[in-house]
Amino acid sequence: MWLAVLAASLGAAAAGRVLGKAVTAALVVVVPFALWALAIHGLFFPEGRTVLAAFGPARVTAEGLAYAGGIVLRTAALVVVMLAFSTWVEVPVLRAALVRRGVPAQLGYVLSTALGLASTVAERLERIREAQEARGLVVRQSLPGRIVAARLQVVPLVLQLVDEAGERAPALEARGQALPGRRTSYVDEPDSRAQRALRWVLAVASLAVVVSVMVPAVAGVLGGGR
Amino acid sequence: MTPVLTAHVRRFAYDDVGPPAVRDVRLALEPGSLVAALGASGSGKSTLAKIVAGWALQGGHARFEGTLELAPGPDGPGGRLEFSGSRDDPRLRLGAWGQRVAYVPQRPGDLLTGAAASVGEELAFSLEQRGVERGAMRERVVRAARAVGLGELLERHPGRLSGGEQRRLALGCALVERPDVVVLDEPSASLDADGAEALAELVDGLRRDGAAVVMFAAAVDALVRRADRCLLLDGGTSAAEGTPDEVLASSAFAASGVASAGREATGPTDGPAAQAPGGQGSRPLAELDRVTFAYALARGHAARPVLDGACLTAGPGEVIALTGPNGAGKSTALRHFAGLARPLSGTVRIGGTDIAGVPAGRVAATVGTLFQDPRDQLFERTALREVSFGLAALGLARDAARARALEALDAVGLARQADVHPYELSSSEQRLVALATVLARRPTVLLLDEPTVGLDGRALGRLDAAVTDAARAGSAVVLSTHDHAWARRRAHRVLALERGRFAEA
Repeated sequence: MWLAVLAASLGAAAAGRVLGKAVTAALVVVVPFALWALAIHGLFFPEGRTVLAAFGPARVTAEGLAYAGGIVLRTAALVVVMLAFSTWVEVPVLRAALVRRGVPAQLGYVLSTALGLASTVAERLERIREAQEARGLVVRQSLPGRIVAARLQVVPLVLQLVDEAGERAPALEARGQALPGRRTSYVDEPDSRAQRALRWVLAVASLAVVVSVMVPAVAGVLGGGR
Repeated sequence: MTPVLTAHVRRFAYDDVGPPAVRDVRLALEPGSLVAALGASGSGKSTLAKIVAGWALQGGHARFEGTLELAPGPDGPGGRLEFSGSRDDPRLRLGAWGQRVAYVPQRPGDLLTGAAASVGEELAFSLEQRGVERGAMRERVVRAARAVGLGELLERHPGRLSGGEQRRLALGCALVERPDVVVLDEPSASLDADGAEALAELVDGLRRDGAAVVMFAAAVDALVRRADRCLLLDGGTSAAEGTPDEVLASSAFAASGVASAGREATGPTDGPAAQAPGGQGSRPLAELDRVTFAYALARGHAARPVLDGACLTAGPGEVIALTGPNGAGKSTALRHFAGLARPLSGTVRIGGTDIAGVPAGRVAATVGTLFQDPRDQLFERTALREVSFGLAALGLARDAARARALEALDAVGLARQADVHPYELSSSEQRLVALATVLARRPTVLLLDEPTVGLDGRALGRLDAAVTDAARAGSAVVLSTHDHAWARRRAHRVLALERGRFAEA
């Protein structure tokens, strides 16, 4: 099932023309996690019986590998779903949709800035790097070179973001963000009958899945308690 | 006429222990009037702007003794707030205050939400919060965009605007709410000639509609001379008041350090035009040879080249000023010299060598860049550390680097602020620290992107001296500016950037 979810989200990403971006971002998250999972569960799985190889206390077991593979697959599916969504979504439209459904404006703002944070951070990092390059920092194009350069940019980046957040608070307040009352939105939210129908189908399907799991479980607990 | 807003600041301090930033100042803003508050760096001018705008009273750290009174208007009942500097003081509700008292901060980016994907959306933000219907909202957004000259850029991402365009956007955000009072901090900064004229028309329009406008500036410009009343701030308090002519003629003005076009800034008065540049035969230090460049735009948009076969040569001892409207590509041209932008076609030569493939960090060994927004280049904990950054890479030992950094800070008059965090300095001082970081490297090519913006008279004097000294030492100076009078006084050549090419202005 996780494979199906993964395939569906990759398909959706491809349809939304963000496949490359989403996959690149997902790899950054999933690959280190996979290495970690394989190291922990592939080598040290207490319940492992079928030993494939042993290095002192570490044993590679089939059960351990299967367990690690399962975790990685699940994580990969969830990560790809999230990243495909956040790279594809048009933040203003999302905010308009949230506002129309009565989500508090502040929450809508937080959501949209959180989704836009990656690009803000990237832009800031670039500006700081340029300032440092203009004063003689040579950034090598290799990965280690970039990491060394990034280390110099992290502290100023955090300081800038904190300072900016402090400056931004009164601006948002003065422009009415905390005012009570109804909100409207500048951006039109495109919607269609098919989309509305699909949303209902998905909602009902989710409910059905939950019910199909919960009802037997609850019945089992009650039955067992009797 | 009764004022729409009256402010009486008996004492304002940012915290319990510090000295007051502003004391004993009264402002009365009448509908349809323009008041200009002048003050050099550190005079309390930006703080007073923030008090009137209500921003300084947020957060609960500041100690304010005084009153703010807003007359009733169509969008609000008005009221009088009495502050005594105690915990029981009334709370100024910025959401309601901001609807009637609009404020454009010194750094326009501070007013923007950072969450909008287009200029239109940014302009609409406050209307969305007040529940204005979409049809009416779009109409007001389009009108505000046109009023500030951004009618063509409604779909542009705010992050892709030039410095001047961003200021226009912030102005638009303030106007879109049809406020009763408009507070402008350094409104003319980084606006081109058209922008300055449009600003003057905008202010006239606001006044005709009955709004009170108050502007704060460190330099006297055409807008200041149009004011009904003028207030001079010095040391956090009022030093002179009256009509602009009366204030500009006062002895307090002469002592205040406010820059004035009519008065030569302090410092060396011999412009670089007095010396002959390195002669036609000498090898150019910096050269753009038929450079074409365009920014990549979102898919579906054809990119218009910013530079289109642009040629520019700067020789030793030469000062060249680039002018041109906001967004013309002046900063982009400077970035090419620094190796921070790379041409799509054409060649950039520094000291006669093509810098294609040379990392910007190496180009920086001979090229020094002062960025348009000084905060883009300040990233260290103290001014001294800031100026020292990267000096070791020039082959300077620790002590020599420190001495060089202190010398540069002294050259811009900030030796005493060596241990202050750059963010705690005034914006004029921030620009000077940024200038010091460049001077400390003793570059042979000096790039200055709008260096005069927000500088008071003293700071302008330091800048003039730095430019003159660099040229005298044989460096090439290429700068961009909207201040034509200053450019003509300081530069050997003034070039206009139009349609991607340079032409003698």
